[in-house]
Formats: sequence, C-alpha cells, structure tokens
Amino acid sequence: MELTALVEIFGRELLGVIVGLIGVLAFVVLNALFLTWLERKVAGHMQRRIGPKEVGPFGLIQPLADTLKLLGKELLTPHDVARPLYYLAPTLIFVPVLVSFIVIPFDRHLQVKDINAGILVVLAFSSLSVLSILLAGWGSNNKYALIGAIRSVAQNIAYEIPLLLSLLPIIMMTNSFSLKAIVEAQAGLWFLALQPVAFLLFFIAAVAETNRTPFDLPEAESELVAGFHTEYTGMRFALFFLAEYTNIVIVCAIATCFFLGGYQGPLLPGWMWFLAKTYLLVFVIIWFRWTFPRVRFDQLLNFAWKIMIPVAFVNIIVTGGLLKL
Amino acid sequence: MTSPVQFAIDAISLMKGLWVTLKSMFRPVVTCQYPRQTLTMTGRFRGHTKLATDPESPWKNKCFVCGICEKSCPSGSIKEVAGEKREGDKKKTATGYILDFTTCSQCGLCVEACPVGALEFSRDYNPAGFRREDFHYDLVREFEKRRPPG
Amino acid sequence: MSNPIDKLGVIDGLEITETDYRTRGYHYCLGATAGNILLVVQVFDDYGFYLEDLTCVDREERLELVYFFFHYEERRRFKVALALDPAKPSCPSISDVYRNAYFLEREVCEFFGVFFTGHRNLTYLFLHDAIDYYPLRRDYPLRKDRVAVPEAEKARLNSFAVTEADDAFFVNMGPQHPSTHGVLRVIIKMDGEYILEAEPVLGYLHRMHEKMGENRTYQQFLPNTGRMDYLGAISFNLGYVTAVEKLMGIAPPPRAEYIRIITTELNRISSHLLWVGAYLADLGALTPFLFVFDDREQILDILEAVTGSRLTYCYFRFGGLPEDVDETFTEKTKRFVDRMRSERFSLYENLITGNPIFISRTKNVGVVTRESARKHGVTGPVLRSSGLPFDIRKVEPYSLYEGLSFDIPVGQGGGALDMYRIRIREMEMSLRIIEQAIAALPAGPVMAEKVPKKIKPPAGDVYHTVESPRGELGVYIVSDETERPYRMHWRVPSYFNLMTFPESARGILLADAVAVLGSLDLVIPEIDR
Repeated sequence: MELTALVEIFGRELLGVIVGLIGVLAFVVLNALFLTWLERKVAGHMQRRIGPKEVGPFGLIQPLADTLKLLGKELLTPHDVARPLYYLAPTLIFVPVLVSFIVIPFDRHLQVKDINAGILVVLAFSSLSVLSILLAGWGSNNKYALIGAIRSVAQNIAYEIPLLLSLLPIIMMTNSFSLKAIVEAQAGLWFLALQPVAFLLFFIAAVAETNRTPFDLPEAESELVAGFHTEYTGMRFALFFLAEYTNIVIVCAIATCFFLGGYQGPLLPGWMWFLAKTYLLVFVIIWFRWTFPRVRFDQLLNFAWKIMIPVAFVNIIVTGGLLKL
Repeated sequence: MTSPVQFAIDAISLMKGLWVTLKSMFRPVVTCQYPRQTLTMTGRFRGHTKLATDPESPWKNKCFVCGICEKSCPSGSIKEVAGEKREGDKKKTATGYILDFTTCSQCGLCVEACPVGALEFSRDYNPAGFRREDFHYDLVREFEKRRPPG
Repeated sequence: MSNPIDKLGVIDGLEITETDYRTRGYHYCLGATAGNILLVVQVFDDYGFYLEDLTCVDREERLELVYFFFHYEERRRFKVALALDPAKPSCPSISDVYRNAYFLEREVCEFFGVFFTGHRNLTYLFLHDAIDYYPLRRDYPLRKDRVAVPEAEKARLNSFAVTEADDAFFVNMGPQHPSTHGVLRVIIKMDGEYILEAEPVLGYLHRMHEKMGENRTYQQFLPNTGRMDYLGAISFNLGYVTAVEKLMGIAPPPRAEYIRIITTELNRISSHLLWVGAYLADLGALTPFLFVFDDREQILDILEAVTGSRLTYCYFRFGGLPEDVDETFTEKTKRFVDRMRSERFSLYENLITGNPIFISRTKNVGVVTRESARKHGVTGPVLRSSGLPFDIRKVEPYSLYEGLSFDIPVGQGGGALDMYRIRIREMEMSLRIIEQAIAALPAGPVMAEKVPKKIKPPAGDVYHTVESPRGELGVYIVSDETERPYRMHWRVPSYFNLMTFPESARGILLADAVAVLGSLDLVIPEIDR
C-alpha cells in the first residue's frame, strides 16, 4: 500500500532520473569515444601528420576498434595487489563522473534534474574521484603508481580551492547555486565579459583538476611510466581513460554554464550551442597538451597556493565590493 | 615571486607556442602514408646482395668463385660458395652461394671486396618470412630465376 | 704553464719518453709503477689535467694499465703505462683523486681481473656473475688454459646490493622506463619525491665491440663503429678511420676530407635535433618530437642518397670514401641549410626556447661545475655549459677543421637550459661549417692513392680523438702489425657524462632527475659498447 503510494509520488521523478542516467551513460561513452578520436586527430595535425584514418571515414570508427581491442585484452592482476581496492578503483572512478552529469543543463529543458545546489553537487562528487585514484595507486602495489596517486591527491586538494573560489563571484552575482539559474542570468551578457579573471582561474584549475598537460603529473609518462594506472590492463585501464575524458567534458561544461552563457545563443537550438561551446573548451585543453611541457610538482603547488588562491580571493573581494556599490 | 611584467612576458610566450601548434594544424601533412604511398628509393639503397648480370652475356653472372667476399664478411654470413669449371669457359662458374640474411647487416664490404663487381645490392626492401631458413638466400638460384633463358 | 714534466721528472722510478705526437696522438709516455702511480696522478690533478681514459692492454707476459691525461685548455696529452703481473694484478685505486676512475676501474676490474686497492665499490658494472672468464684478456676464448674468475673474486664483484633503510625506498628506474632512452638502469634511493642516492647499473646492451675489434680485420670492424652511437654514427666512423689513418700515415684527398666534414656535421645536426625532441618529450611536450623528426628526415634523406643507410652509416674508408657525392647532394644540403635558417630555428624559438614552463623546468637544473666536470672527464655540450670552450675540433683539430671558421658556444653554468641553448647554437655552427665546406669543395679523387688492400698498420699504439655530438670520442688502437688490431678501446663521451649523474641527482626531485638525465644526451649503446 505504502509502496504504491511511494511509486505514485516518486514514480515520474524516478523514471525521469533513470531515463536521464541512461541517456547520460550513452552520452558519456559516445563522448569519450569521440574525444579520443578528436585528441588523436588534433595531435596528428598539430604534428603535421594525419592521425587515425584507416578505420571508417576520417578514422572515426578507430576508437570503437580500440575499445573492442581493449575488451579482448586479458585482465591481468599483478601479484600482491590489495585485491578489493585494486578491483574497486576503476569502477569507483566512474560513479562521481556520472552523477555530475545529472545537474548539467544541456538545453533549457534538457537536464536530468535541476538541483538548487547544482554546482556544489558537481564539485563534491568530482572530489571523490581522487579517492579512487588513491585506491588504484595504493592497491596496485607499485611504487610508480603510489607516487602518482600521492601526487594526484596533493594536486587535487590544491586545485579544488581555486576552482571553487573562482566560481564564487558568479554565485554571488546570481545568488544561486543552480546551474540553470546561472545560465539564465547570462541571457544578455556572458559572465566571461564580467569576470575574465575568474574564467582564467577556473580554466587553469580545471586543467589541473583533470590531470592534463601541463599539469599531468599523476600520470607523468616520462617520470612515472603511467602513474596510478600503471598496473591496469584491458577494460580496467579503459575505465580510467573514459573517466579522464568525461571529466574534461564536465569541467568544460561547467565553464560553459558559468562563463559562456550555457545553451544561450541565437538561431541554433540551445543544446547545439552548449555542445559547441563545451567542445571549443575541450579543444583548448587538447591544444595545451600538444604544446606545453609539464611543470614540476613543487611549481604546480606553488602556483596554486601562492598565485591562484590569492588572486581568487582578491577577485571575490572586488566583486563583493562592486556588488555592494 | 614573479613580477607582473615577467608574468605578462611569460603569458605572451605561451601564446606564441600555442600559435605555432595552431598554425601547423592547418599546414599540409609531411608524412608518407605507407603502405598506401611509397617513397622513391635512392640509387645506393642496400637490400640483400645479389649476383649482378654480366653486361656482355646477359645469361651469365661474373662470379668466378674466388671466395674473397666470403673472407671479407665480418659476420660470416656468406657460406657455401662453390663453383665448377665448365667447358669452354676460362674461369669457374658459381654453382652455390648462400647468403645468410639473418646475420647480414648490409655493410657492403663484400660488394666492395669483389674484384670483378659480380655482387650488387638488390632493391628488395621488405623481405618477410616465418622461418630462419627463409632468409638463407641462394644467390645462384635467385640469379637463374631472373636471367633471360638461354 | 701547465706542463707538469718538471714536477714529474723528480718522481722516483718514473720513465719519461717523448713520443711522436703526429702518429701516436700523445706527447709523452710515462712508465709508472704501482708504487708511484698515486704521486703521478696527484701531479696531473694539481696541474688541472683530467683523466681522459683508463683502460688495460693484455700483453700476455704483463697486464698494462693505460691512463690518458689531457688538458681542457691546452693540447698536451700524457699516456701513463703501468705494468702488472698477470698472475696477481693489483694496483692502487685513483678513484679518490679522479671520480671517473670509480667507474673506469670497475670496468677494468671485471674485464681484466685487475684488483684496485682502496676502491670503495669494486663490483660488477657491465657484466654479471654468469661470466666465468675475464673477457678482454687475450687468452679468452681462444686458449684452453685461460684464467677463470676465482669464486672469491666473483662473490666480491657480485656484492653490490641495495639495503632498505628506514624512511627511504628504492625505485628501479629502468632498464625498461620511458625516459632512460634505451636500457639504462638507475637504482634510486628515495625519500618521498626526493632522491637520496642514485647508482647507475650498466651493461644491458653490452655487445663487446672492443673484443670484436680484436677478432676482425680493420676493414671488417668498420660497420661496428656506427652501431655504438647510432645517433652520431658518422662521428664514430670518422674517429675510427682517422685513427687508423694516423697510425698508418695515410692522408685522404681534400675532396674526401670536405665531404667527410659535411656529412659529419649533418649527422651532428640530426643527433642534436633528436636530442631536442627527446628531451622535450622527457619534459612532457610531445609535439617538438615530431617537429624535429620532420627536420631530421631531411638530413636522413640526404645521407641515405650518399651512404645507402639511414641510421648506422658506414661511409668512410681508410684513405677516403668508397663513393663520391654528386650535384644533388650539394643542392639538397644547401636547401636544408636555408630551410633551417629561414623557418625552423624561429619555430623552435617560439615553441620551446621562450616557453616559461620549459625555462622553469631546466634553469639551474643539473648544473655541472668546472671542477666536477674535470674530475669526471666530462666533455661536449655538458662541459661547455659550465663555460669552458673545449671542443676537440678546436683544441686538437683533425681532418680539415682547422681551416674552417666557427665558434664554440658556451654557457654560464646554467645547467640543462644552457645545454639546450648550446646544442641549438651548435646546430647553427654546423650549418656554417657545412656552408664553408660546400663552398670550398674541390674536384678530384675521393680515395688516397697508396692505400694497401690489406690494412696492416705499423706496430705501436695511437690515441685519437674527435668531437662527437656528445663530446670527446677517443679511439685507442694497439697494432701488432697484423691484419687485426691487437687491442681496441673506445672512450665514449656519454659514459663520462653519465658519471656526473649520481652527484647531481643527490637531493633533487624525481622530476628533476629525468630532466638531468635527459640533458646529458645519453646514448646507451655507446656506453654499453
């Protein structure tokens, strides 16, 4: 009796969330496939070669072929790994990624759920991915993996602060944590014009959050072989890979919502504007990777604590002052 | 800590780097799409050695089994060089010449050592096989396949 | 000023003979004994000489240790020979005076069985305990009565082991690791991300080229030279043929000399280019790697058309060249020079040199001081980064380098960043040399006339050096008037440059260790010759 009542009350909502999650899952996988293709294609042309070209038109099917290959690989479990942690890590890294997508407004009505603490949900869950990196690094029983994981934790803690601080001025201006409300507030003018410093800070912190060059220390190939996922093979490795690319899209989507007016734009439908803006930012992140060398660990932390955080605070104070006036 | 001026200089040089990679994205590719395309080989390309055709009598090679190439080879890749004296010929004719291509490094000392220029490099750049023996080339047999009948 | 001959003259029991520098490559030969070697070495150290080489020659009735001392500022080379009893060879270690002897003596010990008293770690460096005989002794592997390595000796040689300490842990960097460029292994003792100690372990690619040299005729060894340093193969070609030519007194015709210079300098550029790419890949930037390959490919095309190979060239012969070059070679080379100058250097400038991340990663990282460089026998761009303009092409000119005008780029002790700048400037200098050589290229034969078919150099030894892309390459050949060298020894620059690593790695971050290791421009097959 009570159950049917519950279903009646929550049924539509629950169904919506489930359908939305399936949609998100499909988007995540397709997106990751597309991004690996984009990364390789952009890298190729920046290095004056072609990149993938054999499988499908312009090599578009290449990521699918790679996935099939990875599925066919043996899942090696090295000796003396901490098994529960080792097995858990690749799965765990994927959960926060999926949850974050729930609150992202792809279009005015294309959003799984508009939560009024939206951005806090995203930031809270994205911090969780550090945990799985730590589990992977510790569980692998490999020194390189452990160093990579430790670096990752230090890096993520350091960069989460400027990430949040750089968003605060916007939240102060809109008086809302809801991503949709923030996008709606930019109908006239993008916040990029009002808060360029905040955008710069957010973008740099986002690159660091997603462990991309020039801040790709946790998986610094030339130092740590492959960092925290050194010991992972086959699909387990692919899950880390998938999560990495999805994380890139999440941070770029948030940047789009906060600074580039989200789905707002003339002529084209909203979701197209949203995706175009997001992928433009993704392209910039890829572009960074194929241009810059990697910074050193102490330089990375110095940059966060000594430059970015103070600048972010100044930005908040200035914004607060201007708002009061 | 870095001064704002230095900071601006650094930012500009980062932009310069980004400009370089962006520009090269729209420039033509420089790679060759092997095996769809192949490059022209240079005249001095070194494949495995082969017995050169005698320009005076195209069904013959110039090898007269002196064995100098065998001695000159640093890796001992040339084996079983044998020949016989045929009627009407002044010199011996090669009947056997095994080149063990698995140990050959195409240094060309045998080609240089040959007193009559009976050896030359082939232009065979992609030999493949499944067994070691596939690369024990019998140069006399190979020459016979190649020469005009007669 | 820096002639220590007077000081050496007062040492008891030291025979001093003046030698013919033109055919021998060294000015004086000193006959030392185990009793006075430390005194002799101390004199060289006081006069600012560096230990260029230390090796051994098995003369059957005696083992002869051979030390070479050279000076960074003057052309004055001393050979010190020290005879030892092959039954019980023992000699005081000089590793306290010259730090590179720490490695060189270990090498001599495992290959010849010479025991160095006072050496702190006389263990395997290249070999391992499955090797039952001293490989470079003349009796191996030909004679039945060869000397086996005694078990006690083996145990001592094998005694190198790492011990776990309280807060430290060990990381085996290599032999399979993305940034050791081949099969170098470094055992690193770490405290968090900081390195406490680093100890290179070599020999994973050891092919015993020196022994191969003893078993091949002079010509047959030619292809081996390119296999030692596969990035500067032509420099090794040049070092070998010029050493034998010096021993035999053959002078190649000028056309051959100029073509040698052009091809060597092209090879130097390609080697430096690859270093730039690989170094940036070490630092995490992958695009420059492909850009330099674009340029390098142009050089490889030019050289392939001339030599017939793309990597392990074997183009020089005793007395000249096997084949002449044609018009297209000079045309293509000129076009390459223009291409580099007009667009490529500015591209690297914008992409790499000005990049603040690159500068912050390399500035004052892996600084090699002059004193440390001298103690380790460091040469090449690594030495020049300390500000010493030492280049064999200027100090001890070979071929026709004396008549060409070029500068030696030096740094101001700025470590890896200076080494990078020096290598870029050296490429520019090489372009200048190539231009001059093409302009001066005379017509004529490319092979000297009176070169015997069988190369049998007169008895004696020769020490010859050339400047390889990585530094001073020394070739030591002992001839006994047969077709085969009696003993051949190679002084390879990467080996000496690597020796500074344990010192410069102490106390730095793991990320910096990668930057330091990369800046030395190591070619492992050269070290593991």
